[in-house]
Amino acid sequence: MTQELSLEVNGIPARVEVDADEVLLDTLRDRLHLTGTKRGCDEGECGACTVIIGRTPVHSCIFPSLAAAGAQVRTVEGLAGGGGELSDLQRAFVDTAAVQCGFCTPGFLMTLTALLESEASPSDHEVDEAMAGNICRCTGYSAIRAAVRSVVGEGGA
Amino acid sequence: MTAVGLGTPRSDADAKVRGLARYGVDYREAGMLHARLLRSPVAAGRITRLDVTKARSYPGVHAVVTADESPKHRNGLILFDTPFFAADTVLYEGEPIAMVVADTPNQARRAVEAIALEIEDWEPVSDVTEALAPGARLLHPDLDSYEILPGAATWPKHGNCGGVLTSDPGGVDEAFQTADVIVEDTLEVPRQYQAYLEPKSATASYDGWRWTIHVSHQFPFQVRSRVAQAMGVTDSRIRVVGHHMGGGFGARLDLGLEQFAAIGASVTGRTVQLVNDRDEDLISTMSRENATIRVRSGVTTDGRIVAREFECLMDGGAYAGDTVYLTSIPMFMVASVYRVGPTRVTAKSVYTNTAPSGAFRGVSGTYICFALERHTDRLAQAIGMDRREFRMRNLFESGDAMLNGQTLDDAYILREAFERVEEVAPWQGVGKGPLKGVGLAAVIWLTNPLAGSATLSIQQDGSLGVSTAATENGSGAVTMGVRQIAAAQFGLDAEQVFVTAPDTDTQGYDAGSQGSRTTHVVGMAVEAAAEQLKPRIFNIASGLLGALPDDLELSGGSVCVRDDPSRSVPLATVARTAFGLGGPLSATGTYNVPLPKWDPDSAEGLLFPVFPVPTYHVHLAEVEVDPDDGSVRVNRYVVAQEVGRMINPDGVYGQIQGGVAQGMGYALWEGLETRDGLYTRRTLESYGLPLAVDVPDVEIIILEHPCEAGPFGAKGAAEPPIVPVAAVIANAVSDATGANITTLPIDPEEVLEALDERREA
Amino acid sequence: MQFLAPRTLDEALGMLSGRGGDLRVLAGGTDVMIQRMTGQLPRSESLLYIGGITDLAGVSRSDGTIRIGALTTHRDLCCDPVITTHLPSFAEAAATVGGWQTQAVGTIGGNLCNASPAADLAPPVLAAGAVMVVSGVDGPTRIPAERFFVDRRLTSLPEGQILLGIEVPEPPANTWESYLKVGRRGAMEVAQVGLAARFSVVDNRVETARLAVCSVAPAPLRLHRGEEALAGSTLDSGTVSAAARRATEEISPIDDQRASASYRRMMVGRLIMKAARLARRSLGMG
Repeated sequence: MTQELSLEVNGIPARVEVDADEVLLDTLRDRLHLTGTKRGCDEGECGACTVIIGRTPVHSCIFPSLAAAGAQVRTVEGLAGGGGELSDLQRAFVDTAAVQCGFCTPGFLMTLTALLESEASPSDHEVDEAMAGNICRCTGYSAIRAAVRSVVGEGGA
Repeated sequence: MTAVGLGTPRSDADAKVRGLARYGVDYREAGMLHARLLRSPVAAGRITRLDVTKARSYPGVHAVVTADESPKHRNGLILFDTPFFAADTVLYEGEPIAMVVADTPNQARRAVEAIALEIEDWEPVSDVTEALAPGARLLHPDLDSYEILPGAATWPKHGNCGGVLTSDPGGVDEAFQTADVIVEDTLEVPRQYQAYLEPKSATASYDGWRWTIHVSHQFPFQVRSRVAQAMGVTDSRIRVVGHHMGGGFGARLDLGLEQFAAIGASVTGRTVQLVNDRDEDLISTMSRENATIRVRSGVTTDGRIVAREFECLMDGGAYAGDTVYLTSIPMFMVASVYRVGPTRVTAKSVYTNTAPSGAFRGVSGTYICFALERHTDRLAQAIGMDRREFRMRNLFESGDAMLNGQTLDDAYILREAFERVEEVAPWQGVGKGPLKGVGLAAVIWLTNPLAGSATLSIQQDGSLGVSTAATENGSGAVTMGVRQIAAAQFGLDAEQVFVTAPDTDTQGYDAGSQGSRTTHVVGMAVEAAAEQLKPRIFNIASGLLGALPDDLELSGGSVCVRDDPSRSVPLATVARTAFGLGGPLSATGTYNVPLPKWDPDSAEGLLFPVFPVPTYHVHLAEVEVDPDDGSVRVNRYVVAQEVGRMINPDGVYGQIQGGVAQGMGYALWEGLETRDGLYTRRTLESYGLPLAVDVPDVEIIILEHPCEAGPFGAKGAAEPPIVPVAAVIANAVSDATGANITTLPIDPEEVLEALDERREA
Repeated sequence: MQFLAPRTLDEALGMLSGRGGDLRVLAGGTDVMIQRMTGQLPRSESLLYIGGITDLAGVSRSDGTIRIGALTTHRDLCCDPVITTHLPSFAEAAATVGGWQTQAVGTIGGNLCNASPAADLAPPVLAAGAVMVVSGVDGPTRIPAERFFVDRRLTSLPEGQILLGIEVPEPPANTWESYLKVGRRGAMEVAQVGLAARFSVVDNRVETARLAVCSVAPAPLRLHRGEEALAGSTLDSGTVSAAARRATEEISPIDDQRASASYRRMMVGRLIMKAARLARRSLGMG
């Protein structure tokens, strides 16, 4: 059976009917048509589905939608500014070639955005630890590290 | 300023960081239906009951398709051994038996669960040893009657062997007689799952005559011909449209789910989407094959390898796929890199009751290199010689030939690569310390030669469109490489060039993103098209500028007079003028790599005969083992790679770093092992992909020796970085511990036991 | 099925007592949601989401007791000053549960109640001699941690009750404790073996030794024989080796996709030796 869910996604209030055990990833992709958030594993391993709830990155593939009632959810589509300009981190991902196939990119951007919001200048080790819940099969992580470094070097996200 | 050699961002990066790039799994059409497969829950057996009546009556269900509603003939890449749906027997866990098409994915799932399936279990033929044992049950009793790809050469196959390669040039046994020491090693590797982050999908529609299939696939033209073959129709009734692809690494070269989406569409008359769950993707994908390798060499006490024998059993799984081709790979590796004397090779592709195996970046090369370079270390140790010195003594020189008879004119690059690594990480200075070790390995790899094409159109705004069915698998080969090559041809910045997505209806043939071919082959096709366009551009501009065509050049988006750049006309003006002067500025170029000479008598069953446009690679790793738990940490990793010429340094570096990470996974954590024909690791979590905390920044040395017949000198670069990694790490762990590593992934228990032994000794 | 989201404990307990068996308590969901999707839990069960009962979260310390609310997340455990000061093994264990995304929503209560054989928080809880505070409509009762873990995915939590939190006696001075985990990669690992070790030392001798492990038996457990062997010792290598051998007799590891039984057996002994080595160094025992 479906239940009503009210939440805020990328600053915009949303009200949708969801299945009682629906996960947030499905609500975002299939009901709100925000397909930037990706499904990679359905078990909270790969991190492609990462969104930010409040200030916290979560795996939306295993997060019950109804547990997000009243929450502020941010997805990759909400990272760019109002005029469409990329965030510093998005820009850095483009410039340091941290994107290859790009399927993991939204998840990494969300995790690392949350990191930079809580820690302005993380060390390489802190960056690696923070993104342990995100898998990239293409890049071998080095360019992603470099992207974060370049943002931190500029004095914060 | 030329666009070549710059670290220009890939053209799709912006859409990807915004989350607006649409992948195969993101594709939607109004009224689209959702399909789900019923897959075999067992590794082998006979279907005794398949009743879909109840499932057909379930809410939202539009169709249930089984072998009864599907083409009856078998299909395949080269050997037609694969049924559309399993009909009478199932030969591997995960084999498709039926498909439900419903309004929603959940309805499809529930209806699949309602299908009554009964299977009489058979004892599975679970590994190559069982499969080759006398009296083993034959997976394909009718093997001899199967059709093969029209035009393909025949090859030996029998029993549970889908393909056999043998090369026995004579003199091998005599050469062994001259050896002072003979060393034999047997090594074993498990399967490796490509683990692209986007699970496989396909979305198909049908108009009563033609199918349109939306995919994220490395090889759209292969999808077209393979779906046509499976459906029993001509190629041109299939249109394949490519979308962004969440990684492929070889797993998206043959059919995945496309034929099922297609039949779903023609049965229902609706658009049908089929998406794998991760768990079914993992168990059913054609992973890199598991293999058993035996290698035996004779060596003299002064450090020369004088004879070799090599045998490789490749587990092709229940259907042959491309492993029949892969039996040729040893021919390019077993007696290359080092001179090893007369060499005998046998390689077999073997049927077992496991998922069909297939291409993964570096294919069989990863474990052949692992076997050979472990063996090289062991040979050096057997005669008490330094491992690097031993390699240098036996190193290939220019003019040496591989076993297929192909001569390598530029093999001197190998020595250069060893020397460049030495400058960065001196052999005597790394890997010192009680728990540290160093490993070294080298490989020669190919650039895949298959045909490609590209159409260039100068746009009315002066920009350049590149239309090609070449696919951007994430490597940047299209969105960096091809785009920058095209830009440089016309004096444009890469930003002024756009590339299109593949569509088999509108583009010429392209053989897909495989074997590092795209930048090289499609880059050459771009050059061929540019050679047609440039004279037309100069002729038109000549009239506009009042100058001779020969005195003109392209620069900064304009055509200008070479000696007087103040006289110029924008390319946009030329493009518009062309409408009335011979028509729009558009041309198509095609290319395939000319094949080097080889000796057809060098082997029997040599279906993949040459290693064109070879590149040279030396890797070094320093590892440290944990004395408490036996885990291995890679402290340093150095790559010297020859690439011809770098079109985009960021692209090349990204391929090397990423390839090394995948190789580290293969060496240390990954691996699909089977028990009774079933994979034991069945989720990404238990599979164990490398994480950021595990992978160091690789130290990269690029060697540039521009290739005459290459776009701006570029050779293939993306595939080979994975090939030597497991070999290097295993050699380093052996050095650190004394363990003779012969299996992957490296077992911490073995590491600890070796450390204990060393401590006691 | 339904998704019930009570705001108070009483409301939750009322729902639970009224509905009984077809209602699954859900906190962060990082185990339960996966188990539903993979068919290990029936999808027909309704979900009782207690994440909104905010007073079940948090750490406090008074009267020699440290109280950890069931909804305290792994991330909170990692950085809570009471935990990092007095119960560092809890913080170390929490830091190894999945990645940040899992640690941010996964809770200690969920980790313990889910009772995976590999539950990372279970060994520290056992080694600390914690007491589980559980409650039904009739009010709270206490279960010693050692009686809580019964079997694979089975606890002694009575039906209709919820884990409110755990109470841990503050460790005596001169106590060293740590959680040592073996996994294949540097993070995101389900434990091949996890060991919580705690040594309280008086006059350079171990007064009490506590060893608890996960992933080597159907349920996490204390290694009593190993502890007895260490009690009174100076953690000298002879005693520690003997204790490691004895501890290994108490486990019943299996071969599975993560590790072989023999490796697990080997690791329990080696982790005990590593713990003793670290403790000696940290406690200045020579």
